[in-house]
Amino acid sequence: MAETALGASSSYVTVADWIVSWADPQLLKIDYAAKHVALTAKNWWQVALVGGIAIGAFLSMKLSGARRAAISPIWKRALGTASPMKRYALAFNAGFLMLLGARIADGCTSGHGLSGLAQLSVGSTVAVAAMFAGGILAANLLLRRI
Amino acid sequence: MSVLSAVVTGIAMGIVFGFALEKSRVFEPGVIVGQMQLSNFIMLKVFLTAVATGAVVLAALNGFGYVKLQPKAELIAADIVGGLLLGTGITLAGACPGTTLAQIGAGYRDALFTLIGGLFGALAYSYAQPLLVPVLGASAPKTIFTDYAGIPYWMGALALAAVLVIVLVILERLRPYRGELGRDFDGSLNSEERSTISVQSARWPA
Repeated sequence: MAETALGASSSYVTVADWIVSWADPQLLKIDYAAKHVALTAKNWWQVALVGGIAIGAFLSMKLSGARRAAISPIWKRALGTASPMKRYALAFNAGFLMLLGARIADGCTSGHGLSGLAQLSVGSTVAVAAMFAGGILAANLLLRRI
Repeated sequence: MSVLSAVVTGIAMGIVFGFALEKSRVFEPGVIVGQMQLSNFIMLKVFLTAVATGAVVLAALNGFGYVKLQPKAELIAADIVGGLLLGTGITLAGACPGTTLAQIGAGYRDALFTLIGGLFGALAYSYAQPLLVPVLGASAPKTIFTDYAGIPYWMGALALAAVLVIVLVILERLRPYRGELGRDFDGSLNSEERSTISVQSARWPA
Protein backbone atom coordinates (compact mmCIF):
# COMPACT_ATOMS: atom_id res chain seq x y z
CA MET A 1 0.00 0.00 0.00
CA ALA A 2 3.08 2.19 -0.38
CA GLU A 3 1.56 4.29 -3.18
CA THR A 4 -0.90 6.05 -0.88
CA ALA A 5 -1.11 7.42 2.65
CA LEU A 6 -4.00 6.96 5.07
CA GLY A 7 -7.08 9.07 4.35
CA ALA A 8 -10.86 8.95 4.52
CA SER A 9 -12.39 11.96 2.78
CA SER A 10 -11.60 11.14 -0.85
CA SER A 11 -13.65 7.93 -0.53
CA TYR A 12 -16.73 10.20 -0.25
CA VAL A 13 -15.85 11.59 -3.69
CA THR A 14 -15.41 8.10 -5.13
CA VAL A 15 -18.79 6.88 -3.84
CA ALA A 16 -20.81 10.08 -4.51
CA ASP A 17 -19.41 10.60 -8.02
CA TRP A 18 -19.73 6.92 -8.88
CA ILE A 19 -23.44 6.92 -7.91
CA VAL A 20 -24.24 10.24 -9.62
CA SER A 21 -22.30 9.33 -12.78
CA TRP A 22 -25.10 6.83 -13.55
CA ALA A 23 -27.61 9.67 -13.71
CA ASP A 24 -25.23 12.28 -15.14
CA PRO A 25 -22.45 10.71 -17.26
CA GLN A 26 -21.24 14.26 -18.03
CA LEU A 27 -19.82 14.36 -14.49
CA LEU A 28 -17.00 12.05 -15.60
CA LYS A 29 -15.87 14.69 -18.12
CA ILE A 30 -14.48 16.50 -15.07
CA ASP A 31 -11.00 15.02 -14.57
CA TYR A 32 -11.27 15.22 -10.79
CA ALA A 33 -14.43 13.06 -10.79
CA ALA A 34 -13.10 10.61 -13.39
CA LYS A 35 -9.86 10.21 -11.45
CA HIS A 36 -11.71 9.39 -8.21
CA VAL A 37 -14.23 6.98 -9.75
CA ALA A 38 -11.62 5.02 -11.77
CA LEU A 39 -11.37 1.36 -10.80
CA THR A 40 -7.95 1.68 -9.21
CA ALA A 41 -6.56 -0.01 -6.12
CA LYS A 42 -6.02 3.37 -4.42
CA ASN A 43 -9.63 4.61 -4.86
CA TRP A 44 -11.43 1.47 -3.83
CA TRP A 45 -8.95 0.57 -1.09
CA GLN A 46 -10.04 3.76 0.67
CA VAL A 47 -13.76 3.02 0.18
CA ALA A 48 -13.12 -0.44 1.65
CA LEU A 49 -11.19 1.16 4.52
CA VAL A 50 -14.06 3.43 5.61
CA GLY A 51 -16.51 0.54 5.22
CA GLY A 52 -14.18 -1.51 7.44
CA ILE A 53 -14.23 1.28 10.06
CA ALA A 54 -18.01 0.84 10.41
CA ILE A 55 -17.60 -2.95 10.74
CA GLY A 56 -14.75 -2.58 13.25
CA ALA A 57 -16.67 -0.11 15.43
CA PHE A 58 -19.77 -2.32 15.28
CA LEU A 59 -17.81 -5.42 16.36
CA SER A 60 -15.97 -3.54 19.10
CA MET A 61 -19.28 -2.20 20.46
CA LYS A 62 -20.97 -5.63 20.35
CA LEU A 63 -18.04 -7.40 22.01
CA SER A 64 -17.99 -4.88 24.86
CA GLY A 65 -21.76 -5.12 25.31
CA ALA A 66 -22.13 -1.33 25.20
CA ARG A 67 -25.29 0.23 23.77
CA ARG A 68 -25.90 3.65 22.39
CA ALA A 69 -29.01 5.84 22.15
CA ALA A 70 -29.95 6.83 18.58
CA ILE A 71 -28.61 10.33 19.30
CA SER A 72 -25.89 11.17 21.82
CA PRO A 73 -27.31 12.93 24.94
CA ILE A 74 -24.88 15.81 24.43
CA TRP A 75 -26.90 17.13 21.48
CA LYS A 76 -29.88 18.01 23.65
CA ARG A 77 -27.63 20.29 25.69
CA ALA A 78 -25.58 21.59 22.76
CA LEU A 79 -28.65 22.48 20.65
CA GLY A 80 -31.12 23.30 23.43
CA THR A 81 -33.68 20.96 21.85
CA ALA A 82 -34.34 17.22 21.90
CA SER A 83 -35.90 17.27 18.42
CA PRO A 84 -34.37 14.46 16.33
CA MET A 85 -35.36 16.23 13.09
CA LYS A 86 -33.36 19.32 14.07
CA ARG A 87 -30.36 17.17 14.90
CA TYR A 88 -30.65 15.24 11.61
CA ALA A 89 -30.88 18.49 9.62
CA LEU A 90 -27.81 19.88 11.39
CA ALA A 91 -25.91 16.60 10.88
CA PHE A 92 -26.67 16.70 7.14
CA ASN A 93 -25.41 20.27 6.83
CA ALA A 94 -22.40 19.54 9.01
CA GLY A 95 -21.51 16.56 6.80
CA PHE A 96 -21.82 18.77 3.73
CA LEU A 97 -19.49 21.45 5.17
CA MET A 98 -17.07 18.85 6.45
CA LEU A 99 -16.57 17.16 3.08
CA LEU A 100 -16.62 20.40 1.09
CA GLY A 101 -13.88 21.72 3.39
CA ALA A 102 -11.92 18.47 3.36
CA ARG A 103 -11.90 18.38 -0.44
CA ILE A 104 -10.89 22.06 -0.72
CA ALA A 105 -8.03 21.40 1.71
CA ASP A 106 -7.32 18.06 -0.03
CA GLY A 107 -7.49 16.06 3.17
CA CYS A 108 -9.26 15.48 6.48
CA THR A 109 -8.32 14.49 10.02
CA SER A 110 -6.72 11.28 8.73
CA GLY A 111 -5.00 12.59 5.60
CA HIS A 112 -3.78 15.96 6.86
CA GLY A 113 -3.98 15.24 10.58
CA LEU A 114 -2.45 11.81 11.04
CA SER A 115 -0.52 11.18 7.81
CA GLY A 116 0.36 14.81 7.10
CA LEU A 117 1.62 15.82 10.56
CA ALA A 118 3.59 12.58 10.96
CA GLN A 119 5.31 13.38 7.65
CA LEU A 120 6.12 16.90 8.93
CA SER A 121 4.18 18.41 6.00
CA VAL A 122 4.01 22.22 6.06
CA GLY A 123 0.66 22.38 4.22
CA SER A 124 -0.91 19.77 6.50
CA THR A 125 0.21 21.68 9.60
CA VAL A 126 -1.56 24.80 8.28
CA ALA A 127 -4.68 22.75 7.44
CA VAL A 128 -4.80 21.15 10.92
CA ALA A 129 -4.34 24.53 12.63
CA ALA A 130 -7.22 25.95 10.54
CA MET A 131 -9.33 22.89 11.30
CA PHE A 132 -8.96 23.31 15.06
CA ALA A 133 -9.51 27.08 14.76
CA GLY A 134 -12.76 26.54 12.81
CA GLY A 135 -13.85 23.78 15.16
CA ILE A 136 -13.19 25.77 18.34
CA LEU A 137 -14.94 28.88 16.96
CA ALA A 138 -18.01 26.87 15.90
CA ALA A 139 -18.17 25.01 19.22
CA ASN A 140 -18.09 28.21 21.24
CA LEU A 141 -20.20 30.47 19.00
CA LEU A 142 -22.81 28.10 17.56
CA LEU A 143 -23.31 25.46 20.28
CA ARG A 144 -24.25 25.69 23.95
CA ARG A 145 -21.88 24.29 26.56
CA ILE A 146 -22.31 20.52 26.76
CA MET B 1 -1.74 -4.53 -6.46
CA SER B 2 -5.06 -5.73 -7.91
CA VAL B 3 -8.23 -3.86 -6.99
CA LEU B 4 -9.66 -6.95 -5.30
CA SER B 5 -6.67 -7.48 -2.99
CA ALA B 6 -6.61 -3.73 -2.28
CA VAL B 7 -10.27 -3.91 -1.21
CA VAL B 8 -9.64 -6.93 1.02
CA THR B 9 -6.64 -5.18 2.62
CA GLY B 10 -8.70 -2.00 3.00
CA ILE B 11 -11.52 -3.77 4.83
CA ALA B 12 -9.04 -5.50 7.16
CA MET B 13 -7.23 -2.23 7.94
CA GLY B 14 -10.56 -0.45 8.37
CA ILE B 15 -11.73 -3.02 10.92
CA VAL B 16 -8.56 -2.45 12.97
CA PHE B 17 -9.01 1.34 12.65
CA GLY B 18 -12.71 1.05 13.61
CA PHE B 19 -11.83 -0.99 16.72
CA ALA B 20 -9.22 1.58 17.72
CA LEU B 21 -11.64 4.49 17.22
CA GLU B 22 -14.34 2.77 19.26
CA LYS B 23 -12.00 1.75 22.10
CA SER B 24 -10.33 5.16 22.27
CA ARG B 25 -13.78 6.87 22.46
CA VAL B 26 -12.77 9.51 19.88
CA PHE B 27 -15.77 8.63 17.74
CA GLU B 28 -18.11 9.94 20.49
CA PRO B 29 -19.76 13.32 19.72
CA GLY B 30 -19.28 14.23 23.40
CA VAL B 31 -15.52 13.77 23.07
CA ILE B 32 -15.27 15.79 19.81
CA VAL B 33 -17.55 18.66 20.86
CA GLY B 34 -16.00 18.66 24.36
CA GLN B 35 -12.55 19.00 22.80
CA MET B 36 -13.65 21.91 20.63
CA GLN B 37 -15.20 23.59 23.71
CA LEU B 38 -11.88 22.90 25.48
CA SER B 39 -13.59 20.98 28.30
CA ASN B 40 -12.41 17.49 27.27
CA PHE B 41 -8.90 16.64 26.05
CA ILE B 42 -9.31 12.96 25.09
CA MET B 43 -9.45 13.73 21.35
CA LEU B 44 -6.27 15.80 21.37
CA LYS B 45 -4.43 13.11 23.35
CA VAL B 46 -5.51 10.27 21.06
CA PHE B 47 -4.76 12.37 17.99
CA LEU B 48 -1.27 13.41 19.14
CA THR B 49 -0.51 9.82 20.24
CA ALA B 50 -1.41 8.60 16.74
CA VAL B 51 0.74 11.32 15.14
CA ALA B 52 3.71 10.45 17.39
CA THR B 53 3.33 6.72 16.66
CA GLY B 54 3.04 7.38 12.94
CA ALA B 55 6.13 9.60 13.02
CA VAL B 56 8.25 6.92 14.74
CA VAL B 57 7.06 4.19 12.34
CA LEU B 58 7.65 6.41 9.29
CA ALA B 59 11.05 7.54 10.60
CA ALA B 60 12.12 3.87 10.67
CA LEU B 61 10.50 2.83 7.37
CA ASN B 62 11.69 5.93 5.50
CA GLY B 63 15.09 6.09 7.21
CA PHE B 64 15.89 2.51 6.20
CA GLY B 65 14.56 3.15 2.69
CA TYR B 66 11.43 0.94 2.75
CA VAL B 67 8.88 3.66 1.92
CA LYS B 68 8.85 7.06 0.25
CA LEU B 69 7.03 9.96 1.88
CA GLN B 70 3.74 11.15 0.31
CA PRO B 71 3.26 14.68 1.68
CA LYS B 72 0.50 16.87 0.25
CA ALA B 73 1.14 20.03 -1.75
CA GLU B 74 1.58 23.23 0.24
CA LEU B 75 -1.52 25.16 -0.97
CA ILE B 76 -1.85 27.60 1.90
CA ALA B 77 -5.08 29.37 0.83
CA ALA B 78 -6.84 26.05 0.16
CA ASP B 79 -5.51 24.61 3.43
CA ILE B 80 -6.85 27.57 5.44
CA VAL B 81 -10.26 27.91 3.74
CA GLY B 82 -10.80 24.16 3.60
CA GLY B 83 -9.50 23.64 7.12
CA LEU B 84 -11.89 26.25 8.59
CA LEU B 85 -14.91 24.70 6.83
CA LEU B 86 -13.80 21.20 7.77
CA GLY B 87 -13.36 22.17 11.43
CA THR B 88 -16.79 23.82 11.57
CA GLY B 89 -18.33 20.71 10.02
CA ILE B 90 -16.50 18.41 12.45
CA THR B 91 -17.86 20.33 15.47
CA LEU B 92 -21.45 20.42 14.21
CA ALA B 93 -21.32 16.78 13.09
CA GLY B 94 -19.53 15.69 16.27
CA ALA B 95 -17.46 13.55 13.92
CA CYS B 96 -14.84 13.70 11.21
CA PRO B 97 -15.13 11.99 7.81
CA GLY B 98 -13.61 8.74 9.11
CA THR B 99 -15.33 8.59 12.51
CA THR B 100 -18.75 9.21 10.91
CA LEU B 101 -18.52 5.59 9.76
CA ALA B 102 -17.52 4.46 13.26
CA GLN B 103 -20.62 6.26 14.64
CA ILE B 104 -22.81 4.44 12.14
CA GLY B 105 -21.26 1.13 13.17
CA ALA B 106 -21.79 1.95 16.84
CA GLY B 107 -25.46 2.76 16.24
CA TYR B 108 -25.74 6.56 16.14
CA ARG B 109 -28.58 7.33 13.75
CA ASP B 110 -27.72 11.00 13.12
CA ALA B 111 -24.41 9.83 11.64
CA LEU B 112 -26.34 8.49 8.63
CA PHE B 113 -27.36 12.08 7.90
CA THR B 114 -23.76 13.24 8.35
CA LEU B 115 -22.72 10.58 5.82
CA ILE B 116 -25.36 11.59 3.26
CA GLY B 117 -24.54 15.29 3.75
CA GLY B 118 -20.87 14.39 3.29
CA LEU B 119 -21.58 12.60 0.01
CA PHE B 120 -23.44 15.70 -1.22
CA GLY B 121 -20.54 17.91 -0.09
CA ALA B 122 -18.05 15.74 -1.98
CA LEU B 123 -20.32 15.82 -5.04
CA ALA B 124 -20.68 19.60 -4.86
CA TYR B 125 -16.90 19.94 -4.73
CA SER B 126 -16.51 17.63 -7.75
CA TYR B 127 -18.79 19.85 -9.85
CA ALA B 128 -17.16 23.05 -8.55
CA GLN B 129 -13.56 21.79 -8.72
CA PRO B 130 -12.76 23.13 -12.24
CA LEU B 131 -13.88 26.61 -11.04
CA LEU B 132 -12.18 26.46 -7.64
CA VAL B 133 -8.75 25.26 -8.68
CA PRO B 134 -7.81 28.47 -10.57
CA VAL B 135 -8.74 30.44 -7.42
CA LEU B 136 -7.12 28.22 -4.79
CA GLY B 137 -4.12 26.99 -6.76
CA ALA B 138 -3.41 23.74 -8.54
CA SER B 139 0.12 22.72 -7.71
CA ALA B 140 2.72 23.65 -5.14
CA PRO B 141 5.89 22.12 -3.71
CA LYS B 142 5.31 19.27 -1.25
CA THR B 143 7.42 20.85 1.47
CA ILE B 144 8.19 19.18 4.78
CA PHE B 145 9.73 21.02 7.74
CA THR B 146 13.03 19.13 7.63
CA ASP B 147 13.62 20.50 4.09
CA TYR B 148 13.99 23.94 5.68
CA ALA B 149 16.14 22.68 8.53
CA GLY B 150 18.45 20.77 6.19
CA ILE B 151 18.31 17.57 8.28
CA PRO B 152 17.05 14.11 7.23
CA TYR B 153 13.33 13.40 7.67
CA TRP B 154 13.84 10.62 10.23
CA MET B 155 15.68 12.97 12.57
CA GLY B 156 12.87 15.55 12.47
CA ALA B 157 10.20 12.86 12.87
CA LEU B 158 11.88 11.41 15.97
CA ALA B 159 12.27 14.92 17.41
CA LEU B 160 8.56 15.60 16.82
CA ALA B 161 7.64 12.30 18.51
CA ALA B 162 9.83 13.15 21.52
CA VAL B 163 8.21 16.58 21.90
CA LEU B 164 4.72 15.07 21.56
CA VAL B 165 5.45 12.50 24.28
CA ILE B 166 6.39 15.33 26.66
CA VAL B 167 3.27 17.32 25.69
CA LEU B 168 1.12 14.20 26.22
CA VAL B 169 2.57 13.51 29.68
CA ILE B 170 1.88 17.11 30.72
CA LEU B 171 -1.66 17.04 29.26
CA GLU B 172 -2.46 13.81 31.09
CA ARG B 173 -1.12 15.26 34.37
CA LEU B 174 -3.27 18.35 33.95
CA ARG B 175 -6.39 16.60 32.61
CA PRO B 176 -6.47 12.87 33.60
CA TYR B 177 -8.55 10.98 31.03
CA ARG B 178 -10.64 9.18 33.67
CA GLY B 179 -12.22 12.47 34.67
CA GLU B 180 -13.30 13.10 31.10
CA LEU B 181 -14.80 9.77 30.04
CA GLY B 182 -18.26 10.39 31.51
CA ARG B 183 -20.58 7.95 33.23
CA ASP B 184 -21.40 6.19 29.95
CA PHE B 185 -17.88 6.53 28.53
CA ASP B 186 -19.23 8.88 25.88
CA GLY B 187 -17.53 12.09 26.97
CA SER B 188 -20.89 13.42 28.17
CA LEU B 189 -20.10 15.43 31.29
CA ASN B 190 -22.99 17.55 32.51
CA SER B 191 -22.84 19.11 35.94
CA GLU B 192 -24.47 16.15 37.74
CA GLU B 193 -22.24 13.61 36.09
CA ARG B 194 -19.21 15.76 36.69
CA SER B 195 -19.73 15.72 40.44
CA THR B 196 -20.06 11.91 40.38
CA ILE B 197 -16.82 11.64 38.48
CA SER B 198 -14.87 13.86 40.83
CA VAL B 199 -15.90 11.56 43.72
CA GLN B 200 -14.77 8.53 41.69
CA SER B 201 -11.48 10.00 40.59
CA ALA B 202 -10.65 10.75 44.22
CA ARG B 203 -10.27 7.00 44.66
CA TRP B 204 -7.58 6.78 42.00
CA PRO B 205 -4.32 8.28 43.19
CA ALA B 206 -2.89 10.57 40.50
